[in-house]
Amino acid sequence: MQPLANVTPLKPAARAGAIEVKNVGQVFRGRSQDVVALDDVSLEIKPGRFVVLVGPSGCGKSTLLMMMAGLRQQTTGTITISGAPILQPDPDRVGVVFQEASLFPWLTAEDNVEFPLALRGVPKAERRAKAQDALKLVGLEGFGKRHPHELSGGMKQRVSIARGLVQDPPVLLMDEPFAALDEQTRMTMGDELLRIWAATGKTVVFVTHSLTEAVYLADEVIVMSARPGRIVDHLQVQLPRPRTYEMLSGDAFGALRDRIWRHIRKSA
Amino acid sequence: MQGTFAINLARIAIIVAILALWEVLSRTGIINPRLLPSASDTFVTLGDLLQRAAVQKDLMVTAAEVLAAFAMAVPFGAVIGFLVAENRYFADVAKPLLFFAFSIPKSIFLPMFILVFGVGFAQKVGFGFFSTIFIVIMSTTTAVESVKVEHLTVARSYGATPWQTAFRVYLPSMLPVLLEALRISMIFNLTGVILAEMYASRDGIGHQIATWGENFQMKQLLAGVVMVAAIAMTFNELVRWVEARCSHWRT
Repeated sequence: MQPLANVTPLKPAARAGAIEVKNVGQVFRGRSQDVVALDDVSLEIKPGRFVVLVGPSGCGKSTLLMMMAGLRQQTTGTITISGAPILQPDPDRVGVVFQEASLFPWLTAEDNVEFPLALRGVPKAERRAKAQDALKLVGLEGFGKRHPHELSGGMKQRVSIARGLVQDPPVLLMDEPFAALDEQTRMTMGDELLRIWAATGKTVVFVTHSLTEAVYLADEVIVMSARPGRIVDHLQVQLPRPRTYEMLSGDAFGALRDRIWRHIRKSA
Repeated sequence: MQGTFAINLARIAIIVAILALWEVLSRTGIINPRLLPSASDTFVTLGDLLQRAAVQKDLMVTAAEVLAAFAMAVPFGAVIGFLVAENRYFADVAKPLLFFAFSIPKSIFLPMFILVFGVGFAQKVGFGFFSTIFIVIMSTTTAVESVKVEHLTVARSYGATPWQTAFRVYLPSMLPVLLEALRISMIFNLTGVILAEMYASRDGIGHQIATWGENFQMKQLLAGVVMVAAIAMTFNELVRWVEARCSHWRT
């Protein structure tokens, strides 16, 4: 075990938000044979980076993300966030944004955002203030009293992001958050997410199926292959920020997307 | 808004039409008024009956039996239903058996309840409990299954304790289905208790209704029917009103 002091580093600037994945493997014991879901995955993510995991279905990208969130245990290897290993969910270090329909329909938007704080017994007034700030950050000021069924798909995901950010963790993990949205909303939400990321300086790990989304959002794209789940490429996206719609049709963008696609086609 | 108003108006019109038809059939003698006393006579009798101490006492007895049976059947059935839903082995073993038990008309067991408990409070509560518990078990199972895995994962990722998960995720998720279960269980419960009263009893409103029937006191009989119907509908509507407020998260 690491000493407890490492959980909240004394020099936050140095390590807060850094993610280190070391020789992580996951084996599912099957009836006839064992299935290797992740095979010796190692990876280092520097604080404040926007990293996207892509790969075909079954490559274990969501599994890897769930391990970073402490929601799953790997068979072998270690995952370290902000300098201390992740053994169980730790909302101080990691906020998670799930796919659509993860909001509680019986709570209003602000109560949903306050949920993580309510679990820890934060006083009502402080909770409300933090939720208001988070909702403002995601562009939903004034929508706090609405229930999820009164919000559009994009707005619901904004609430989810606000919920992930409300405790101000250095790392935000996002599991295909825009997969259920239509194309236009998805583009808008991508820009919104980049704005929020720039404003907060979080480390973001983002899982997606969309290659365009991957290149558009990322500083780095990690490409995985299926059966067994492995990292086959780690690209640096050098496109300038802020990213614009025009870049999508540029040569640099196309080259990166093609490179990812060739990996995925091979593996699928 | 005008739509709901028009619909309400149509509903009231139907009720008024039925009451008017009832009144006319009886008054004109198309149906012998000795068999079908008029609506107005029935309601006058109802008002009259409600004033009587004996009828009030019968109502209290029935209410006590219904509430006792309900208060036992709901938590007991809910716990069993929860175990069935949460435990794979228990579910595999118990589910078909519960369906078997549920399909049997409960009334055929009534003579046994009389033999075991004698005629009295325990017999009626016991039979009410027996009539209700299976529907509670089955509805609770459905309610637990309506809890979304995604919601449980969210709670876990923010470090919820088992208690917090129970009260902040399970309970509200299950609420819409549970309320419906409560409503339907009450129908079964009321039916069970009143049937037990009509079959063998010294008191209770079911007993009164059976006696009026045997003595050919049609006015009292019909008034009793209207009374019980009104009570049952009131409870049903109360729960439905709460249900409507949480219907939007029903899956």
